Amino acid sequence: MAFSKNSGAGHRGLQESMYSVISLVFILVACVELCDAAAAIDVYRLIEYDISGSAFGSRFAALNHHAASLHFPSGADLSRTVLIIPLRELNITFVRVFNSGNGGNKQVHEKEKLKNLLAELERLLIHANLPYPVYFAFENDEIDTVLTDIKKNDAIGQPATATTGGYKLVIPTPEPKKVASPTIANIQGWLSGLKADGDTNQLPTIAIVASYDTFGAAPALSVGSDSNGSGIVALLEIARLFSLLYSNPKTRGKYNLLFGLTSGGPYNYNGTQKWLRSFDQRLRESIDYAICLNSIGSWDNELWIHVSKPPENAYIKQIFEGFSNVAEELDIKVGLKHKKINISNPRVAWEHEQFSRLRVTAATLSEIPVAPELLESTGGLFDSRQFVNETVITRGVKLVAESLARHIYGHQGKNVQIFADGGSLAVNPAYVQSWLDLLSRTPRVAPFLSKNDPFVMALKKELADHTDEVNLQHDILEGMFTFYDSTSAILNIYQVASVTFDLLSLLALGSYLIVLFCFLVITTRGLDDLISLFRRPPSRKVKTA
Amino acid sequence: MTMFHFFNCAILTFGPHAVYYSATPLSEYDTLGTSVKAALVYLGTALVKLVCLATFLQVSENDGFDPYQELLKALIGFIDVAGLYFALTQLTHRNISQNHKFQAVGLGWAFADSVLHRLAPLWMGARGLEFTWEYILQGLEANANLVLSISLAALASLIWLRKNKPKTLIPIIYACAGIVATMPSITSYLRRGLGWYFPKVVGFELFTSLVMAFISWQLFSACQRPSA
Repeated sequence: MAFSKNSGAGHRGLQESMYSVISLVFILVACVELCDAAAAIDVYRLIEYDISGSAFGSRFAALNHHAASLHFPSGADLSRTVLIIPLRELNITFVRVFNSGNGGNKQVHEKEKLKNLLAELERLLIHANLPYPVYFAFENDEIDTVLTDIKKNDAIGQPATATTGGYKLVIPTPEPKKVASPTIANIQGWLSGLKADGDTNQLPTIAIVASYDTFGAAPALSVGSDSNGSGIVALLEIARLFSLLYSNPKTRGKYNLLFGLTSGGPYNYNGTQKWLRSFDQRLRESIDYAICLNSIGSWDNELWIHVSKPPENAYIKQIFEGFSNVAEELDIKVGLKHKKINISNPRVAWEHEQFSRLRVTAATLSEIPVAPELLESTGGLFDSRQFVNETVITRGVKLVAESLARHIYGHQGKNVQIFADGGSLAVNPAYVQSWLDLLSRTPRVAPFLSKNDPFVMALKKELADHTDEVNLQHDILEGMFTFYDSTSAILNIYQVASVTFDLLSLLALGSYLIVLFCFLVITTRGLDDLISLFRRPPSRKVKTA
Repeated sequence: MTMFHFFNCAILTFGPHAVYYSATPLSEYDTLGTSVKAALVYLGTALVKLVCLATFLQVSENDGFDPYQELLKALIGFIDVAGLYFALTQLTHRNISQNHKFQAVGLGWAFADSVLHRLAPLWMGARGLEFTWEYILQGLEANANLVLSISLAALASLIWLRKNKPKTLIPIIYACAGIVATMPSITSYLRRGLGWYFPKVVGFELFTSLVMAFISWQLFSACQRPSA
């Protein structure tokens, strides 16, 4: 972060004007245990975006400066330097000095410290406006050696600048440009229910929805294993189980099933809104209720059902009872949370709110107890595979599938296990695990997914395997968000010599050549010749005179 | 900064040749033509050596010291000596004294050697941002090579051009000429066989070049005394 002298409470305006002059930069090295130049390293840039014109994130991409570590001597001029900070050495208050003024570290459990640190850091960075490039990199041997060298130099008070040698970090990328018309792709799969002969009425529909895209501080690293990888995996598994049931007309239920994988989740569920708006009015009215899945991958034994209609509503009661009965059998605690929606407020915290705004009964099943803020819990840096538990997802799948099945087949209240373990309809943990692993390797920030992104196509194909009919709906992500490209780059680390070194060597070489010249003249032609070299002008004068 | 470094290394590598030419009486007697012809002869010998190496040598995977290969390389290295003989004796020089002839030939020889072996790596490598000591060491090596070439030329001219030499000195002359001629093999043995680092090898080269230069100077002046 820019190290201005008048830090502290700092007026942001003054700091920002100083920032435009200073071009300081720093790199964070995430110490998650993953995985020409002296070194060339893959780095991932902090996201750059605008909300309704207000700029956020890191506004620059190219880098060409000397490196320093956190142990820089106090009073050092940090403009035109790159700070390399390993995550485990990052003190969050250092970062906070330049942003808002809250202090206070929380005492947290040792294991969770890193996760919380990352989460807090991410929150700070996303909401800050940084006029210099910020990059994330994974720690490896090369960076470690470079960093120890830099620390040694800093410790003896010789930070790398143009006059003293040291390491120079170069990222040669062009300036980031706006992503023109970012697309969102909604995938829907339709499982038709059993229509009795002669029945002209439309069958009721139950919708199961999950949003699949993420948003994080480093879009090239936002894999969102829990938010919402767990939801996607659960949806696919439920689709698979019901496609098995529905493949046989004898076991086909009298409900249509609509599976939706929506995009645009972090941006007030923009995609879900567009998807619903594209529906026929009749279809929308035929939806009995919709279950939205959001982050069900790392809970202990408590899940929440969030609704926007009041709990006294008959439909809500029915849904909640159905879930509670099954939950009791599975030894899961399910709570009901009610959050009223405010039509005038554009903020949509849960996916079911988009349904409710169009008067469709809906609820969201999630481990998150409180409605998240804008751009919170959207699958960022800290949301990686190791924090998600596939057994927990399997339990969640069982919960949702049983509750749905009991409603569809009319077995409410009865103790019937349709998806019993060990049976042919058991939840397949290998399926869950393999899809979870794949999702944890795929960054899915919507503006950076191309129109025919292979991952979206893969999801479509998977859903097509389990449903009768699959549709892909492309739309433009509209609204207040604008994004800028250039999400990853290659960092070159050079070891450069200082200017003084070059000057000194020039001096040394010059004197060497002069000495050599004099030596050769003296030995081959004699000392007189050497002296005569310097005495020629006067002798000429004598001649002409 | 990087062009600066390139410039520094370039004057270290090629400066001494220019200085030698201008400082000694070579420039007064205008022996540039001789040096240029010697450089061309070096080019020819280098091509012949290349062909021989390609034909007779096998490429080894590891960077170790294979005695037979090195022996072969040394033998091919004697083509160098043949080329020097050709340059000294067969080329028609203008009437310059033997004293200056060997200097001019040696200078042209060393200059061609430096340009062929060191200019391209210097241009490619020294201009980058990354700093290494390699090009400075290469320049020092070029300096040592200059001294060695001139001493070799001196000894060669003693062997082939001077007819009346003191009998006792002849074996010494041949021995020194042999040592200087096999310098490349010796350095490659040091680098590969004993595993010396580049700075150490360059230091060794500088030291031996000065020693050899001194010895050949003494031999030359000793041979010059009877005829003087």
